[in-house]
Amino acid sequence: MPQVIIDGQTYEFEGKHKLLQFIQDLGKEVPFFCYHPSMTAPANCRQCMVKVGQFVKDRETGEYELDDDGEKTIRWFPKLQTSCNIDVADDMIVHTQETDALVRRAQKDNLELILINHPLDCPICDQAGECPLQIQTYKYGPEGSRFEVKKVHKPKRVTLGPRVVLDAERCINCTRCTRFTEQISKTHQLTITSRGDKNYPTTAPGREFDDPYSLNTVDICPVGALTSADFRFRARVWEMNQTPSIDITNGKGCNIDLWTRDNIILRITPRYNGEVNDHWMPDDGREAYKIFNENRISRPLQKLDGEQILSSWNNSIATFIEQIEVRDKKEILFIGSPHASVEENYSLQQFANLIGINEVVFTNHIESGKGDGFLLTDDLAPNATGCRLLGLKEQDQTELKNRVKAATMIVLVSDHFVDRGVLSTTDLDGKYLISFATNHSETTKIADLVIPITTAAEHAASYVNVDGRIQRTIPAKETKYSNRSLNLEMSVSRLDRYGTNFDNWVTEDNKVDCIPLWNFISEVANASGLELSFDDGRSIMNKISDKLKTFENVSHEAMDDQLGIQLSLNPKTETPKVK
Amino acid sequence: MSTVDWKNFEPVLIPDIKDLHKIDVYEKNGGYQALKSILTDKKKWADPKSVVNEVKEANIRGRGGAGFNAGLKWSFMPPADGGARYLACNGDESEPGTFKDRKIFEYNPHLFIEGALIAAYAMEITSIYVYIRGEYLPYIKMMEKAIEDAYDKGYIGKSIFGSSFNVDFYVHSGAGAYICGEETSMLESLEGKRGYPRVKPPFPAQKGLWGRPTTINNIETLSHVPAVINRGAQWFKNIGAPTHPGPILYGISGHVNKPGVYELPSGIPVIDLINEVAGGIRNGKKLKAVIPGGSSTPILRADQLEGITMDADSLRTVGSMLGTAGMVVMDEDTDMVDVLWRIAHFYHHESCGQCTPCREGTGWLEKVLLKIKNGEGEVRDLDLLLDVTTQMEGRTICALADAAAWPVRFTINRFRDEFEARCKKSVHALA
Repeated sequence: MPQVIIDGQTYEFEGKHKLLQFIQDLGKEVPFFCYHPSMTAPANCRQCMVKVGQFVKDRETGEYELDDDGEKTIRWFPKLQTSCNIDVADDMIVHTQETDALVRRAQKDNLELILINHPLDCPICDQAGECPLQIQTYKYGPEGSRFEVKKVHKPKRVTLGPRVVLDAERCINCTRCTRFTEQISKTHQLTITSRGDKNYPTTAPGREFDDPYSLNTVDICPVGALTSADFRFRARVWEMNQTPSIDITNGKGCNIDLWTRDNIILRITPRYNGEVNDHWMPDDGREAYKIFNENRISRPLQKLDGEQILSSWNNSIATFIEQIEVRDKKEILFIGSPHASVEENYSLQQFANLIGINEVVFTNHIESGKGDGFLLTDDLAPNATGCRLLGLKEQDQTELKNRVKAATMIVLVSDHFVDRGVLSTTDLDGKYLISFATNHSETTKIADLVIPITTAAEHAASYVNVDGRIQRTIPAKETKYSNRSLNLEMSVSRLDRYGTNFDNWVTEDNKVDCIPLWNFISEVANASGLELSFDDGRSIMNKISDKLKTFENVSHEAMDDQLGIQLSLNPKTETPKVK
Repeated sequence: MSTVDWKNFEPVLIPDIKDLHKIDVYEKNGGYQALKSILTDKKKWADPKSVVNEVKEANIRGRGGAGFNAGLKWSFMPPADGGARYLACNGDESEPGTFKDRKIFEYNPHLFIEGALIAAYAMEITSIYVYIRGEYLPYIKMMEKAIEDAYDKGYIGKSIFGSSFNVDFYVHSGAGAYICGEETSMLESLEGKRGYPRVKPPFPAQKGLWGRPTTINNIETLSHVPAVINRGAQWFKNIGAPTHPGPILYGISGHVNKPGVYELPSGIPVIDLINEVAGGIRNGKKLKAVIPGGSSTPILRADQLEGITMDADSLRTVGSMLGTAGMVVMDEDTDMVDVLWRIAHFYHHESCGQCTPCREGTGWLEKVLLKIKNGEGEVRDLDLLLDVTTQMEGRTICALADAAAWPVRFTINRFRDEFEARCKKSVHALA
C-alpha cells in the first residue's frame, strides 16, 4: 500500500487525497483560510504551506537512491507547497509546522501579511471567539506587527442583501463566499471587485445578495467580513450555549445548532451532516429562531363566554377530560400533525386508541414551487413521513373538511389549519376545538381550549425527513418546568453555571409556561384512570421501537451516534416526490 | 566571449519595407510562403511533428520573458483527440519598459499571423486567439484588419492551401490589467472571467482554455517562426548568442538619445546597445543604471555592465535576466529611491489580489518606499523591505510577487548608500 511520511510518522493510504484534508483527517493540523472541504481549493490564502519532498528512485531499476550515510535521498520541492491542493503521493515526505522551522516561519510571515490591512477590531467584531484568523494568529502568528504605515480603507457596513452585511476591511479575500455562490448555491451573485489590496466581494451593480442560502457565506467567512444582518452585535459567541438540533421549517431536516443566551434562541447555524445538508442550510431555516422566542403561548387558555382567558393546568386537564366524556367517541376527531414530532404524534395516537378512537388523521403541508432540489423542499413540515410511518391517516383538504363536518369536537396538535388555509373559521364553527400549540395564531385564537406545548427547541424528539431519515432534537431552551442542571442533555454555558440572579442574562420571564404534549396526555390519562404514562421523548421512542418494525433500530442514542438513521420506507409510505 | 556581428544584421521581424502591414506587400516580399511550404511540401514537411522538431531545433527562447524553448513547449501538447485545441498569443505586453510587440502589430502583422498559423498547424490547433492589451486600440484595429485580409485570401479558415488544415483566428482585447499578461490569467480573461492566475498543475497544455489543451506564446516568439521554416533552424541558431539565439526586438527607453525598438541579434554588448544603437546617454551625461528587460528584472549598476551581453546566460552572471529585452537606461541624475518607489507603485496597483503575500506585500513595499522617498524613513525600514521581499518571493501562485520583490531587493542592495542617505539619521538624537 502506498505510504506517506508526515512529520516523521508513516501513514498508509488508499485512493486520492488532498494533503491538507488528509492531515486533518489524521487529527493533525495545518492552518488555512481559503480551503473548504465542499468547494474547490484555489490555494489563494497561502497559509497551509508545508515542505514536501519525494524519495528519489532510480528510473531504470526502480531502487531508492541512497546518500553517503545509506539513507534514502529526498528530493525536496524547491518551494514550499500549499497542502490544500497537492495530492498525497506514494513516498511523499511532508514536514508541517510541527517539525520544520522553515514552514513555521512561512506561516508566520503569511499571517503577518494577512494582518497588515486587517482592522484588528476583534473587540467589536462579531466573529471574535469563533474566528479562524484570530485563533490561528494566536497559534501560529507573529507576536506583533512591523507595519507602521497606513492601512487600506475599504467600504464598511455594506448591506449586500436583506440578510448579509459586509465589512470589506476585514475581508482577507479568501473567496469562500464567491465560490459558495458559484459552486454550492449556484446563483453566482457574489464576485470579487477591484484589484490587489483594494479588492473585496460584492454583487453586480444594482443587484441584491438575496440568495436563499446567503447566510451560509457568513458561516464560512473565516473573518468577520460577512455578518448576519439579524444577529450582528447581539451576542458574543462565548456567552451562548450551542445545542445540536434539527431544522423543522421544511422536510429536509437540515442538521443545525441552536445558539441560546438567557434562554432566548439568538441564532441558528448549520451543523455538518454529509447525508443530509453537508455544511449548509437555507436562510429560511435560520429565521425559525423567532418562532422559538416570539409569540409563544404561555399557560393554558380557555374560552369563557366567547372569550379566551388564562386558565390553569388543573383546570385545562379537567376540561379536556370532561369534553371527551360528554361526547360519543364517533364525534371526536383527533388530528395529528406533520409539524409535530414522532413522539408527540405517537402519544396522541396511543391516547386516542385507548379511549376507543382508532383513527388519527393528519394533512400534509405541501407548497409546490418551494423546493429547489437542494435543501429546500415543497414539504414545509418536518415530519410528514413520520406521521405516515406511525400509521396516521393522511387526508387531503376535502377529506379533512368532511371529517371535521362530521365531528363535534376536534383535538388539534401543532397545526394551524386556518392560517395555512386548509380549514376556514366557518368549517370550525360550533365545534369544540382543543388546540395543542406552541405559538399564537388565527387557529389558536378560535380554539375553546389552548394547551401550550414545547417546541423542538424545548424537547427531545424525533422527526423523519422527506428521505426517510429519522433525526432528533435536543432541548436548548428551558421551560418553567425544566432545568439545565437537572436535564443532563442540555448544554450548560459559563453563564448558566456561574451566573446569578444578579447577572444581566438570567431572566426568569424568558421561560415559557408549557409542557411536552406527552406529559399533558399522561396527566389526562392519570386523572381519568387510564393505563397510559409517558416519561420523556427517549422512553417514548424506545416504546415505538419495540412496537413498530420500521423503527426497530431507532433510539435517541443510536440517532446521536449515527447523525440520524435512515429508515426503510415501504412503497405504501413513499414520500411525495420533491421537485 | 565572442562578439556578435550586429552591425551587418538584416532585420527579419521589422524590415525596412514600406507598407509591409498590407497583405499584398507582405505577399510580394515572400509572405505566407512558409505556411504554403509546410502545408503543401510533403517531402520537406511530412507531418506536423516535423515542424515542431524544426522549431525545437532552432531553440527560439520565448520572448515574453521566461525564455523557454518554444518548440519544446509545443511538444508538450497531448496528441489530438478530435476536440478543440487552442493557441493563445500573448500580446498583452504590459511589463513596464516593454513595447516591442506593438511594432509587430503595427509594421508586420502578417508575419505574426503566419507564425501563429504555422504553430497552429504544428500543434493541430483549431482556434487561435490573440490577446492584445486594451491600450493598444489602434493596433487592435490593425490586427483585426490584417486577420480579415488573411481570411479573404484564404490563409485563415477552411482547407488552407487546399489542405485539410482548418483554423480560426480571433482578436481579444484586454482591459488594462497587467496580470492578464500572465499566461493562465490571460486564459481566465479570454474565458470572460476575472484575471486571476490559475494554480499549476494542471498546465495549460493539459487543461487550458475552457479546459482544453492550449499553448501560449508571445507575439515576437511566433513571429520568428516563418523565418525558421523558410531558412531552417541552423540559420536561426547562427544568429547571436549560441545559448539564446536569434534576432531580438530590443525596446530601449530612458535617458538615451535615440530611444526606440531595434531588431538586432541576441548577445550584443549592453554598452554597445546603449552607446551605439541608442545613440548614447542624452545631454552627455554618464550612465548610472540599466534595467535590462522590463521592470521586474533586477537593475544593474553601470559598473556591472563591463563585458555583459544581452542574453540570459551573460546577464545571469551579474544577477539579472533578459526578460522581455525592454531596456530602461538611467543617467547619473536619476534618483533611485524615486525609481524604485515608482516600480513598487506599479506592482501594488497591478497585483490581482488573489494570494496573500502579493496582495498585502506589494502595498507594504510601496508605502514604506514612499515614506523613505519623503525623507521620513529610517535605516531599519530598508531591512524591513528586504525582509518583506523574502516573505513574498516564491510563495504565490504566479510570479507577480517575485516580479514585485526583485526590483526592491536588488535596487536596495545595489544602491544601498543612496537609500540610506535618504533615511533619517537616527530615531533619537544622541545629544
